[in-house]
This record gives sequence, structure tokens and C-alpha cells, in this order.
Amino acid sequence: MKKTKFAAFLSTAIVCYLFWLVLTGQIISIFRGGASASVLIAGGAVSVLVALFSARFFIHDKAFFMFNPVRLFIMLFYLFFIFAWELIKANWDVARRALRPGKLKINPGIVKVPTGLKSEYALSMLANSITLTPGTITMDIADQDDKTYCYIHWIDVTAENGEPAGDAIKGTLEKWIRRIWE
Amino acid sequence: MRIAIDILILISLFFAVAGTVGLLRMPDIFTRMQSSTNIGTLGVLGVIIGGTMYAIWQYSDYTMAVKIIILGLFYMITTPISGHALTKAAYRHGYRPKEDFVVDSYGEDLEDDD
Repeated sequence: MKKTKFAAFLSTAIVCYLFWLVLTGQIISIFRGGASASVLIAGGAVSVLVALFSARFFIHDKAFFMFNPVRLFIMLFYLFFIFAWELIKANWDVARRALRPGKLKINPGIVKVPTGLKSEYALSMLANSITLTPGTITMDIADQDDKTYCYIHWIDVTAENGEPAGDAIKGTLEKWIRRIWE
Repeated sequence: MRIAIDILILISLFFAVAGTVGLLRMPDIFTRMQSSTNIGTLGVLGVIIGGTMYAIWQYSDYTMAVKIIILGLFYMITTPISGHALTKAAYRHGYRPKEDFVVDSYGEDLEDDD
């Protein structure tokens, strides 16, 4: 197990405290005035306690990576435009398959897709994005000969293997995720 | 404004119905998981966006709006993990669909490891 650095602990505590502020509704009271001091102090204590235990799971390398506003902005743009559009397209496609009368038009298979991403967060974000899109589920991620591969269950296989399947599934997602994390 | 909220919730209802129909019609666990992500994504997102707008414009309750957004965020982070774990576990346990997969790279690579 890796040793927890102080920077990792600090950034985890900050994130926890932000979530505390949002969930207790204090973030709005701060802007309007009238935030209660006891809630703020209790939140600080709880955040520090949680960060002590969970920092080593939450952050493995550069601690203040995500506090960069440019990255945050690209991430929001990715989530609300690029990914949302992919989501709507894929949802419509699967819904049409499910509701079409007669024999189901499905052609399922598991394809192996190479990815160029290296960082843990980028890989998990790519896998989560692929799983969230209906029609594709990431089953496993494996390292083989210095390359990372995703095994993806696909409801309608149009390309058997490798790069063409990867292009059809990932589209532009991988490019945007690389921009966020690398 | 009320109409926009209703339309959003209707859209998410449509996708939830489509997902449920797919869940009942699909032949095996893997394709059923695919269809159920329909409910999990647009089926939930529409309700979440609609609920946020409702909280802001009908109640002017920003705390509630922010809480709904956080709910959606955590939902989006956690659901793919369970989907991934379920399909992987089903495959490793030896479950296979009646009609064979078109391609099955995962099975081939698993055999190589053994």
C-alpha cells in the first residue's frame, strides 16, 4: 500500500468539505449570509477525519491535478455536450431495438479494443463512459504487451476487432478524456 | 416552464418504458444489462433535470436543486460499476447466451491464461 502524502490528504479534505457545504445547503447560506458556525466547524472536523482514512484510495499521484480550472471546464464541457450527445444517440438506438415488433435485431459479441490512455483516472472514466452508453458494457481491462485493452460487450457488432471496433465504440470520447487527464 | 419540465419527465418515462420492455424481451443476461442501462441513463437524467428545474422555478429552493444535481452525479459515477461487475461475474461464472456471440475475444484470452 502506498504511503499517503500530505498533499493527497489535503486535497481529499477540501473535496469532502465542498461536498459537505453543498449537501447541508450551507454553500447558499454563505453567499446570502447567515451560515451557521457550528455546522461549518463540524463539517471541517468530519472532512479531516474522512480524508485521514480515504486519501490513500482517492488519490494516487498528483494531488491538486483537478483543481486546475481549465481541466474542470473541459470536463464539464465533455460531460454536458460531447458525452450527453453520445448518450442520447445510443439511448435512442437501444430503445428502438427494444420496442421494434417482430424478431429482435441484436447481434451481440465481446470485442477487444486497444486504448492509448495511461492514467488510472482516465481509464476508469473511459470505462464508465462506455458502460453508461446503452449498447456497450466494459467487462474487463487488461494489460498485454505494454498496451491496455478493454473487453467490451457490444449489442450490435459491426466491426470484429481492434481499431475499427474501437472507433465505432469510443468515437471522440477517448480524445476528450485524454485532454482532461493527460 | 411547467410544460418544459413535463416534457423532460415524459421523455425519461419513455426511455424507462423502452428499457423495461427490452429487459423483458432480450434473450440473455448480457443483452438485458444493455437494455437496462436505458433506464439508468436517460430514464433517470430526465427526471433529475426536470426535478432541478422544478425546485428552482416552482419552489425557488436552491438547496433542493443542488442536492438533486449531486444525487445525479453520484448516480452516474456508481451505476456503471455495478453493471460492469455483474456482466463480468456472469461471464466468469460460466454463463453463456443460447445463441453464440458473434465474436468472443474475452473467452479466447481467458483460455490462453489457463
